[in-house]
Amino acid sequence: MDGAAGPTRLQSSMKRIARTGVLGQIVALSLVALAFAIGTGGRFLQWTNIQVMLNIAGVPAILALGLHQVIVLGAIDLSAEGVMAFVIVFVGMLAKNTLNSNDVGLWILPIAVAIGAVSGLCNGLVVTRLKLPSFITTLGMSWILYGLAVYINKAAGIPLTDARIPDFLAGNTAGLPNIFLIALALTILVQILQKKTRLGTYIFAIGGDEHLAGQTGIGIRRTKTTVFIIAGALYGLAAVFLASKLGRAHPRSGLGNLFPTITAVAVGGVSLTGGIGSAVNALLGACIITALNDGLILMRIDPYIQQAVNGIVLIAAVALTIDRKKLGFIK
Amino acid sequence: MDATAITAVNGPGERPQKPARRVPTFVYSIGLLILIVLCLQAGNQNFLSAYNLLTILDFSVILLLVGLGQMCAILVGGNDLSVGGNISFTSVVFVMLIGRIGVLAYPACLVMGVAVGVINGVLLTRVRIPSFIATLGTGGILASLAMVFAPVPVNIPTNQWKYLSVITEKTFGVSNTLLLGLGILLLYQFFYRYTVTGKRIYFTGNNINMAWMSGIDVAAARIIAFAICGLSAAAAGIMISAEQYGSNPYLGEPYILNSIAVVVVGGTALTGGTGGVVNTLIGALIMGVLKNGMNVVGIDQYFQQSILGVMIIICAVLTFDRTKTTVIK
Amino acid sequence: MSDTTLIPTPVLRLSGITKVYPGVVALEGVDLAIYPNEVVGLIGENGAGKSTLMKVLVGYVQPDSGRLETAKDGPVFLSGPASAIEHGIGMVFQEGALIPNLSVLDNLFLCHEKTFERFGFLSHRTMRRIAREQIRLAQIDVDVDSLVQDLSLANRQMVEVARLLWLSSIYGHPNPVLILDEPTAILSDTEVDTLFAILRSIKHRASVVLISHRLSEVVENSDRIVILKDGRNVAEMPAGSAKISEIEQLMVGHEVSADRYLEEHQHEPQEVEVLRVEELRVEGQFEPLDFSLRKGEIVGLIGLIGSGKEAVRDCLTGIRRADGGHIFLEGLKVSPANPHQSIRLGIGHVPIERRSQGLATGMSVQDNINLLVLKSLRRGGLLTRRAGRRNAQRWVERCRIKTPSLDVLSGTLSGGNQQKVVIAKWIGANTRFLILDHPTRGVDVGAKEEIYHLIRDLSLEGIGMLIMCDTLEEDIGLSHRILLMKEGRLIKEMAAAPNAKPTPSDIIKFIV
Repeated sequence: MDGAAGPTRLQSSMKRIARTGVLGQIVALSLVALAFAIGTGGRFLQWTNIQVMLNIAGVPAILALGLHQVIVLGAIDLSAEGVMAFVIVFVGMLAKNTLNSNDVGLWILPIAVAIGAVSGLCNGLVVTRLKLPSFITTLGMSWILYGLAVYINKAAGIPLTDARIPDFLAGNTAGLPNIFLIALALTILVQILQKKTRLGTYIFAIGGDEHLAGQTGIGIRRTKTTVFIIAGALYGLAAVFLASKLGRAHPRSGLGNLFPTITAVAVGGVSLTGGIGSAVNALLGACIITALNDGLILMRIDPYIQQAVNGIVLIAAVALTIDRKKLGFIK
Repeated sequence: MDATAITAVNGPGERPQKPARRVPTFVYSIGLLILIVLCLQAGNQNFLSAYNLLTILDFSVILLLVGLGQMCAILVGGNDLSVGGNISFTSVVFVMLIGRIGVLAYPACLVMGVAVGVINGVLLTRVRIPSFIATLGTGGILASLAMVFAPVPVNIPTNQWKYLSVITEKTFGVSNTLLLGLGILLLYQFFYRYTVTGKRIYFTGNNINMAWMSGIDVAAARIIAFAICGLSAAAAGIMISAEQYGSNPYLGEPYILNSIAVVVVGGTALTGGTGGVVNTLIGALIMGVLKNGMNVVGIDQYFQQSILGVMIIICAVLTFDRTKTTVIK
Repeated sequence: MSDTTLIPTPVLRLSGITKVYPGVVALEGVDLAIYPNEVVGLIGENGAGKSTLMKVLVGYVQPDSGRLETAKDGPVFLSGPASAIEHGIGMVFQEGALIPNLSVLDNLFLCHEKTFERFGFLSHRTMRRIAREQIRLAQIDVDVDSLVQDLSLANRQMVEVARLLWLSSIYGHPNPVLILDEPTAILSDTEVDTLFAILRSIKHRASVVLISHRLSEVVENSDRIVILKDGRNVAEMPAGSAKISEIEQLMVGHEVSADRYLEEHQHEPQEVEVLRVEELRVEGQFEPLDFSLRKGEIVGLIGLIGSGKEAVRDCLTGIRRADGGHIFLEGLKVSPANPHQSIRLGIGHVPIERRSQGLATGMSVQDNINLLVLKSLRRGGLLTRRAGRRNAQRWVERCRIKTPSLDVLSGTLSGGNQQKVVIAKWIGANTRFLILDHPTRGVDVGAKEEIYHLIRDLSLEGIGMLIMCDTLEEDIGLSHRILLMKEGRLIKEMAAAPNAKPTPSDIIKFIV
């Protein structure tokens, strides 16, 4: 259990891979694929369907990438929908559209990310400076942003006319949907951040034991705020992608994403108690949830039943991954 | 005799906490209420008219109902995010059942509400899932079930309106909803003041460890708290359906945040164990006044939501008991 | 000038350290010098000030007066463990300060990874190399990539030592001071041997302060012994010439008036038995033991860390299920599976942590006192204000609780009065057998006496009590009879009749 003295390079590497903990998720994904392959008579596994799934998985994957780090910290972020609505409204105003003559072109991408990041910063500041639990902070923030968003654009959907982003997102490179490749690239980036930088180590340390981590001198406030900023930035990116895919900027488009994102993160193996789970887990979780929902659609199950299924999956996933010893009396 | 591990920084002698606020929190809430009313009156002369006040009260009753339920969940230190789905589901099912089983729709829906609450409580205490996730899940399931049963808004046909009279009529010139709201308020106050279970809920929220060591069945207390919340939400759903003579599956959604706002703005802390019925009443009145007032003064409907969010954060910051937890998550 | 080669300069010197808390002087004018390459054994019973001294040493707590000096930096101010290690002072806590879900490697360098950064990224290859080196130097045998939560407790301790040594080296301290707080409490015998072998080997690059209650262990493995008593450094001696009995004498024996524990009020308990324990055991905590308690009898349960007495307490209060044996309450066999059942049987528990386990600090005095008897306060099924008030008032008077009113929050009362509220809660509930865990902890002297009065009164009324106190004197002074536990076994029973009380030195030689 303590490891042999002077383990071979191979043993160490194997141990490190095993520790990323994606085995369960790969098994789950395979089971889902198998179940639906049988249920749909093979249609599920057709390459065109897989491409569709990967395409659909793009936005949820990016959202999950943002959210999961907050959860690894041991906190929660319920603000995704509000941030997305807020960002989308700006997308509608600034990107090429039918309503006004603005056209920031591709600059909309960094702008969206920046707006999202600022929202995340607000979350981080309220949690770390005002010392309010993340649950109520992000919930309140979500509604503040959503209200502002709808107020600014009066709940209208603004058609977007710049086709460059949507075309790129819809296209494939080497057979794989571009949006998925972007999500994959981001996953790799975040994974590197987590494993190869001090920030990453600190995130896991705080999630493991915040009190002890603070005692070693880690800047808890700084780390937490940074994580919220990254989350917000990724929500912003997801928002602009979503609006581009839909061809219109409507603040309501982001609604209904919070729930599946939390489910994706939980199913991917990120424990709500914190300290466990990496970017790869988030990506896999999003893939599993997308596959699940796609399969349900293919099998013509009532879309509203799907939501119920998602709810059950969420509860089950959390129940399985939570570390009960850590929580003591659960609130 | 044993060596003490380093836990508290303060050493063997303790300092007692600062003297309790002699003024209960609801006094501050009343102050806030008066302030808001004055501002709104300044904004629009008609605000304090009798008609407007009655409108506010009517509207506040539903808020109060859901708020009182949410208060139960918060008193035990948790949250119930399923009230939205619960209201949507119950109101839709009520509309459907009225046509089939008439007056029996009332008890049927109330029982369903209790069942939802019990499920939430069991998920929390036996399966050990944090309440906000568990209720997020159950709320989502209920919302989707509501949409399954009523993909489009449903109405209660006029020949069934007689079943709704207990809610829609007036008695002695006062609308029944108001009277029902008052009655339920008194029931709640009664429950928390005069019953053992009510007291135990407070103890559980205040210090769950101590409550357990003192022999209180904390699991039962929490399940009961969530059951009451589910019951309240269901009652609210029924009332909404009756008042609107119909329902749609999105009805309940705003109440998730609104109910938490009612509780927190009224001065009940999210940490649990403090605050109470009076606080929630005032919170409901504040919310009702705000909603109505913002409309009357002409504040954009969507902006109101943002204001709500800010208020919640501010009030939560002011009431959160930081001595309870050293680590804020 | 004396020849400085004969007297080395101390690596760390404390002068005149004093720390006072409300109602108790924890440390009084303590002088302590730690020299290079030595192991100092720090000995003292609970309440002697060991834990406060440790907290001062790592900067958790600031002394009210006195000075801390290091050889390298002169007088220093420590703001916490992180700043302490910067000055070459590190401590290995009992509970462990490693993050369980991180690897040994991560923990070793936590918060100090800057040295391994290249362009913002950590060079894991270098880190691994250095980590393996440090682990080897500390003579431990672990894989640096393994997670801390998978390591044995012994190895976790040594990883902490390795971390402290590495940190001291990068802060340029050739001879850091490592404080080990009861390191052997959780170790097996072979692990203990390994630990001390490792300590001996690292002596050439560090000084160690060894805090332990196991006197023979300390004497065997230290160079010098320092004895704390009543917050003062009362003796120092080379370990080689130290005699255990001498040390024991120096550890105990406070100036205490004979009447401090109201011994004149100690009367014979009743004949009837209220509690009997037969063959009770908990795997890994304590071996089968038997004892009994009569009505009105006060029995002190004494033992150090690892004695298992806390587990005995937990079995009686229903917090833990015993693995074997029986408990009899007034002749009836009982097996409480949770606190609720214990309480229904009439077993009460005044817990050690008053604020977190004994009281609902955010609720009123009245509510707290009435907590256990709510059901009986009902009139026609409902709680009436009058019944609740009457009951609370009665107990406030009975226990002489000083409170402005029944409605103030219990958290605002002083420690002593809070404790009285907790006791009132239990005795108002027809408790027949009460366990008092450190009943006067954090209570000022005046209130302590009132609590002793209460305890004597309860004894007169026939309530059987099991007490576990802060000091040996209190255990001895209050009890009719004393049970001594050591390393999971009940080793001795002693009578403690008034005017024939055993002395602390009589006791200590059995339990260390």
